[in-house]
Amino acid sequence: MTEPVRASLDHCVKCTICETFCPYSRVTPLFPGPKYVGPQAERYRTGDASPDASVDYCSGCGICTQVCPHGVKIAEINSRARAQLWEERGIPLRNQVISRPSVLGRLGTPVAPLANWTLRNRPFRWVVERALGVHRKASLPHFAGRTFQRWARKHVSPASERTVVYFHNCGTNYYEPAVGRMTVEVLEHNGFHVVVPKQDCCGLPLQSNGNFTAARAYVRRLVANLAPYARQGLPIVANSTSCGLMLKREAREILDVEDEDVVAVSEATYDLCEFLLLLYEQGELRTDFRPLELTVPYHAPCQQQGHGIGKPALDLFALVPGLRAIELDTDCCGIAGTYGLKKEKYEISMAVGERLFALLRESEAEVAACDSETCRWQIEHGSGVRAVHPVELLHRAYGLEAA
Amino acid sequence: MGTVPLTAVGNAPGCWDRPLRDQSLRASPCAQHAAILARRVATLETDVLVVGGGSTGAGVARDAAMRGFATVLVERGDLATGTTGRFHGLLHSGGRYAVKDPVAARECVVENAVLRRIATDCIEDTGGLFVSTPWDDPEFGDSFLEGCGATGVPVAEVSVAEVLRREPRLDPGITRAFEVPDAAIDPWKLVSTNARSAAEHGARILPYHRVDGLEVRSDKVVGARVVNEQTGDDVRIRSRIVVNAAGAWAGQIAELAGCGVTVLPGKGIMIAMNHRLVNTVVNRCKPPSDGDIIVPIRTVSVIGTTDVRVADPDELEVTDGEVEEMLDEGEKLIPGFRQARALRVWAGARPLFASDEVTDTRDVSRTHAVLDHAARDGVGGFVSITGGKTTTYRLMAEHAVDAVCAKLGVNRPTATHEEPLPGSENGHFYTLGSRLRAREPVPGSEEIICECELITRERLVQAMAQRRPTSIDDIRRAVRLGMGPCQGGFCIYRTAGILHGFERLDQEAANSALLDFLQERWKGVQPILHGDQFRQARLDDWIFQGLLDVQHLPE
Amino acid sequence: MTEARWSVARVGPAAYDTVVIGAGLAGLTAALRLAEAGQRVAVLAKGVGATHLSPATIDVLGYDDGAIASPAEALPGFAAAHHGHPYSRVSVDLLRASLAWFQDCLEGHGYRGGLDENLLVPTAIGAAKPTALVPGTMAAADLRGGGRFVFVGLRGLKDFYPALLAGNVARAQLPGGRTVAGRAIELAPPLGIQRDPGPLGFARRFEDAGFRAAVVAELRSRLVPGEVVGFPAVLGVGGVREVQQELEERLGHPVFEVPALPPSVQGLRVFETMTGALRRAGGRLVVGSTVGAVRTSNGHVDAAITETAGRPIAYRAGSFVLATGGFASGGLELDASGRIRETVFDLPLSGVPGPNEPRLAREYFDDHPISRAGVAVDEKMRPVNGETEPVYENLHAVGATLAGAVPWREASGNGISLASGYAAAEAILGVPS
Repeated sequence: MTEPVRASLDHCVKCTICETFCPYSRVTPLFPGPKYVGPQAERYRTGDASPDASVDYCSGCGICTQVCPHGVKIAEINSRARAQLWEERGIPLRNQVISRPSVLGRLGTPVAPLANWTLRNRPFRWVVERALGVHRKASLPHFAGRTFQRWARKHVSPASERTVVYFHNCGTNYYEPAVGRMTVEVLEHNGFHVVVPKQDCCGLPLQSNGNFTAARAYVRRLVANLAPYARQGLPIVANSTSCGLMLKREAREILDVEDEDVVAVSEATYDLCEFLLLLYEQGELRTDFRPLELTVPYHAPCQQQGHGIGKPALDLFALVPGLRAIELDTDCCGIAGTYGLKKEKYEISMAVGERLFALLRESEAEVAACDSETCRWQIEHGSGVRAVHPVELLHRAYGLEAA
Repeated sequence: MGTVPLTAVGNAPGCWDRPLRDQSLRASPCAQHAAILARRVATLETDVLVVGGGSTGAGVARDAAMRGFATVLVERGDLATGTTGRFHGLLHSGGRYAVKDPVAARECVVENAVLRRIATDCIEDTGGLFVSTPWDDPEFGDSFLEGCGATGVPVAEVSVAEVLRREPRLDPGITRAFEVPDAAIDPWKLVSTNARSAAEHGARILPYHRVDGLEVRSDKVVGARVVNEQTGDDVRIRSRIVVNAAGAWAGQIAELAGCGVTVLPGKGIMIAMNHRLVNTVVNRCKPPSDGDIIVPIRTVSVIGTTDVRVADPDELEVTDGEVEEMLDEGEKLIPGFRQARALRVWAGARPLFASDEVTDTRDVSRTHAVLDHAARDGVGGFVSITGGKTTTYRLMAEHAVDAVCAKLGVNRPTATHEEPLPGSENGHFYTLGSRLRAREPVPGSEEIICECELITRERLVQAMAQRRPTSIDDIRRAVRLGMGPCQGGFCIYRTAGILHGFERLDQEAANSALLDFLQERWKGVQPILHGDQFRQARLDDWIFQGLLDVQHLPE
Repeated sequence: MTEARWSVARVGPAAYDTVVIGAGLAGLTAALRLAEAGQRVAVLAKGVGATHLSPATIDVLGYDDGAIASPAEALPGFAAAHHGHPYSRVSVDLLRASLAWFQDCLEGHGYRGGLDENLLVPTAIGAAKPTALVPGTMAAADLRGGGRFVFVGLRGLKDFYPALLAGNVARAQLPGGRTVAGRAIELAPPLGIQRDPGPLGFARRFEDAGFRAAVVAELRSRLVPGEVVGFPAVLGVGGVREVQQELEERLGHPVFEVPALPPSVQGLRVFETMTGALRRAGGRLVVGSTVGAVRTSNGHVDAAITETAGRPIAYRAGSFVLATGGFASGGLELDASGRIRETVFDLPLSGVPGPNEPRLAREYFDDHPISRAGVAVDEKMRPVNGETEPVYENLHAVGATLAGAVPWREASGNGISLASGYAAAEAILGVPS
């Protein structure tokens, strides 16, 4: 699909709407805006050395492509230009490290308490910032110690006529296994047999850091594990909305991976809330929700918006009595995957998310909902308000909470 | 506002002579009256008077000035508004002529190498390919190789796989491919740097000076009557030799001295596509015909061209048929060409010199001729240089000035093949990303006026100071203003505002500049308007007519 | 200056009462009118568009062979003379009602004006343009009474040239032979490292008290008594009325905005107010959703099918409103072979030049034959086949998609969008017209 992305620049009529919505160019002159870096600068690139380093300040949030009324694939053009840039320069060690969450997960899990303590140790973080370039204040998640996969191996999913395949992603596995457990339980509550195949990272952070070769290798490995199920016509459900988007579209559109396996998996992938809402529309979702007297602000991650499915989490919340969901009209939280971890980008990231943080602080809400784990961590870091995946609220409302 | 002082620059060496006035065409009644009262006849004396400000004329002016002749160049419009400013920018390797026109091919080989030494700043080293598409006879490739071998065109056959890897947009059905040292040359930059070099060597460059008549005394041309198109002033120029480098108009100029020069204007149209579909010059490997070249020049790809004999080089119409033909030919080289966005279409007239009557202008040799009218027509003091192509402009200029030397009885050899043009001293070729690179690392630290072409306010003001433009089109030629996808939708209003402030033009002149540009632009855009470009045009209409309401500006 | 914009989701999934395709002024008008009336509405937009390119004024009818002083007076004749024009489908009363509704919806914007008299306001290049309804930030922009105007440029705002503006405005032909004196001042407010912040960047800066103080300090002493002060339309985003008020108080002069090149901060304000209201009324806005196909049966539209990252999603509804705009927005397209198409439903079109007739004139400013091409509708804003036969009984078309108008020449764009969007909503609600 290389040419369609680059060729889509022909649709740009310079209306500047993308620039109006870009959360990043708003806060820093280092990023000249999506129109500049995307369809405009692309006319100056020959496929060799990309002369503009400022493209690295694009976060890949994808809001530009969503708002462009003419169909320019701006964020995708930027992604490729960034990859080209890093191919020329060589990807720095820091980016190589932070873009491999499953490797970090495997390293940190056996020594979780020590790793967690170390990563919060101020002097250590100073050193890391100097040596590696990860900002000392950037919020890093806690290793859970026991991975989700470990729980899943022990867990026996009840037999059923209906089967669903669960793609849990690195974040769930190493940092938030409880979310994975809740996802499985909610699906089982709705009568599904849940299969958790062997799986690893989808390669999204590698892609956003410009390492297309490694990203392709990872996504192909993941897809090899999932494709047999997809070919049987089974739905693949992803609770991390950004990883789900990787399988649905980005692997094909940005990485140009068009293997049959990838196509099969991409056509079978659902975002978790999307899947549950579809069940509801087919009359197959259990609605035996207990009342949950809560006011919950909901922030739709940029990549969730990238799915183009609306905000199914809100529709699901509307089914829970007493649950008052508030649709925040905020754009980006600023983390953009690994972007906000970087020394030179942390301040930008916090400036981008400030409006969201301020709204949440003022709201005095106990808990906020958001479908992407990195966004949740950023929200907690920036506002102090606890953030949960929508499935956690549904799980609670179903009364599945362990005593 | 810009830091360039208004008065200091005008007559500095290296800059062009242009009085600070607005366009007489649209001047208010008061300004016209004042101009009439101020009308005066100036007189200039010079050794060499060059008529024509295209690549040949500018090259002649440079060569003559470098050889120590007092030189004046007159051009009726802005420099490079004739054929030179209207071709696709191909710096020929000679491959195109290797089979059918070996003389022309050999000239191209030599001059290609010379220009790659002296004009690096004007040239992007794109390289060139000759490809055999499924519509071409692969065996012609053998004749092609032979022809290149015989004429000295550097050539190498390359694997189709390699070519498709390099240029993924090309038709995957290509059967053969050959590499040659074609390149892309920026014609406006070429002409303006030659003119600047000439001025640096003492020449006077006078754009917007139209030759009204040639003064013939006792069978000798002694000078010219010239009209300053901006002020209406007459200028009398006395010269020892007049060099007629008027290209497609050379016949008209020669007639003013009673000499007959048959120039057959061969009209060719070209279409600029919005982005670089290829980064190499791509030619069809077959006997030359229409639409068989795509040139990546600056940010666009240009496809050309047709060849239709016309009577008047000023009457060049772009027909729907020609446009369709170009799009079809483009589709043969690049599948999906028709869906790609086309920005504008224009026509130029090749100056084909014929000593006998010919019917198909493609059969006329592309090489040039220096005509000494003393020998030919019994008129002294007058030399015409005609035919040729921009690739061999320097050689044409050299031959013309050699003829001047011969007539004046002096022996002064040229140095134009050695001395680099201004701006090309460091020997670095132009690269596409240069304007992008120049904005780094903090792109937001400067105001960009024309965003498509990445022109900063500072650069724009600098161009205005150097060129003293009277129309926004002049600025367009200087810096490529408004040549990108939005075709001026956003930058023209800004430019009118800056021009108004900078030149202290009254608001009427600024309004006219803007309105004229819109009409000029429409000529090039209208024949090709559909799809994305039509959508753009509608947005531009909204901006100019809806938002700004330029149609209801005060009279 | 920032306000927390809460909205409680009261939506349910699946079928909607009305689906609106397109989120320009016409689409948002229809959607909001319907949502306020209690309908479940979804707006599907492939992007954000027209509002961000337009000023916030409502141009009802500015030109018809000369400037128009009173749309109310001119409209009946205009509609009669232009049989296929959208204004021949909406009554003057309905137009009036739509304007009143709009003013009400955007109460915080302080709109004034109406159908009876056009104001004359300066454009960014200084033409005097007729318009019917202006936001409060443009109330003092009316040139009709003559007066002394000073236009303030901001160094770094490359889309505003006050000297050129003033020069042209001073030569404007005004009714009653009134004259306007115009002059320009250029300020250099503090920008920091960002030298090209754009209109939105400036608007955000104006919401900062320190920035405003710097502007006032530089400007105050340079004003002459009795002058009306025109700024580019960047005086803030959500807080613009407070900014305007503060500037007027501290400068001691009336202050107004002049709309300029996109992105239009004025338009953005309208968009944010209307989408916020839509959300609060329970409407759903999905941006980035292109309607790639539709499902129809027996002259009835069943669903609009959007392309998503994965599978297409069908939005089922009782009624559909096509608000996809004209050629500039992609609602209509002209392909390489000269064919004109409406891009979602492939509706029959009206005003299309014959296959061998030219679409465009030679001179740029001439009337181009293709300009009036579009979708013809009945009084319920339903696209018709031929004269009166609706193509689909539950489909309505509004805004720039409609045939018969050349909004940028007539100065009628927002008026048509507002009136037609309102009319479509009324038709759907079954309000007798």
